[in-house]
Amino acid sequence: MNLTILTQVCGWILCVFVGLLALLILWLMYRGDIDLTQLISEPNGDASLSRFQFLVFTFVIALSLFLVIVGNPRQPEFPNVPGTILTLLGISGSSYLVSKAIQHSDPSGLVNPSANDVVISPAQAMVRYGQTRQFGAVVPRKPGSSVKWQVIAGGGTIDASGLYTAPAAPAVAPGAAPPLQHATIQVTSDAFPDAHDLAVVTLT
Amino acid sequence: MDLLLRFLRWEVWLFLLGLASIVTVQLLNGQINTRSLLSSNNGNMAKSGDISPARLQLLISTLGLAFYYLVQVLNNPNPGTFPSIPESWPTVLGGSHVIYLGGKAYSRWFSNDGNG
Repeated sequence: MNLTILTQVCGWILCVFVGLLALLILWLMYRGDIDLTQLISEPNGDASLSRFQFLVFTFVIALSLFLVIVGNPRQPEFPNVPGTILTLLGISGSSYLVSKAIQHSDPSGLVNPSANDVVISPAQAMVRYGQTRQFGAVVPRKPGSSVKWQVIAGGGTIDASGLYTAPAAPAVAPGAAPPLQHATIQVTSDAFPDAHDLAVVTLT
Repeated sequence: MDLLLRFLRWEVWLFLLGLASIVTVQLLNGQINTRSLLSSNNGNMAKSGDISPARLQLLISTLGLAFYYLVQVLNNPNPGTFPSIPESWPTVLGGSHVIYLGGKAYSRWFSNDGNG
């Protein structure tokens, strides 16, 4: 008798605890403290259909399992899950994995497209007249891809490897320092022709 | 004990319904990001903005099959068991996924102008 009462009390405590926990989770989701905004998103910010279909199938099977368990006329018990249901879940899960493998086979599938497609470094530099300075560029969505270099304003030249050569110093009065001038270097990605970045060179 | 079981049923039922409602509402009002869900990729995995037939057919088959199965469960003549589904379903769903994955792999590895 005492054992039955103890079982009932433990059962109620457990149920109330789980219920409050579930309520808290739903409340936090509703308020946005549990952030669902990226629930079906890829690392690059686009929504993923494979994630979405996996979410739908998982939820439908979970709901079905609950309905089947509580629908048992005798008493709630775990039912036999037919092979076809498991096959459907397997297809859904496998498809998700293969889709992720395809997505992750290229870095371009992982980087946010809103981020810069080509990044020059350094973005600012001071170079003495007649001296050289090496610039570099990375293309986050396609590492190792080629870029084009160009001096679009000011003096100097830049070669295909990003080596900038400052112009010769202008003639000035003896003892006077050469005037400060600026040059602008532009790098353009071959993979993403619309993407470019700039560096400003101060000639001293 | 019956009261405890009834309480537990309602608890799980409300949680699942609440979860489904929150996710569905946030999907529909745009809080959950659905940008480019149906857009095709170009060769660099960037979305072109065009609707991809391969993605569209997978979305339709997934939602259709999920909805149909839920209706089967709700109208199950043998409560306590999973309703049986036709043997052809895995083939249909598998074929739909193969089309989607094939299109995705093709656009990623072989195409520069993208088809999904």
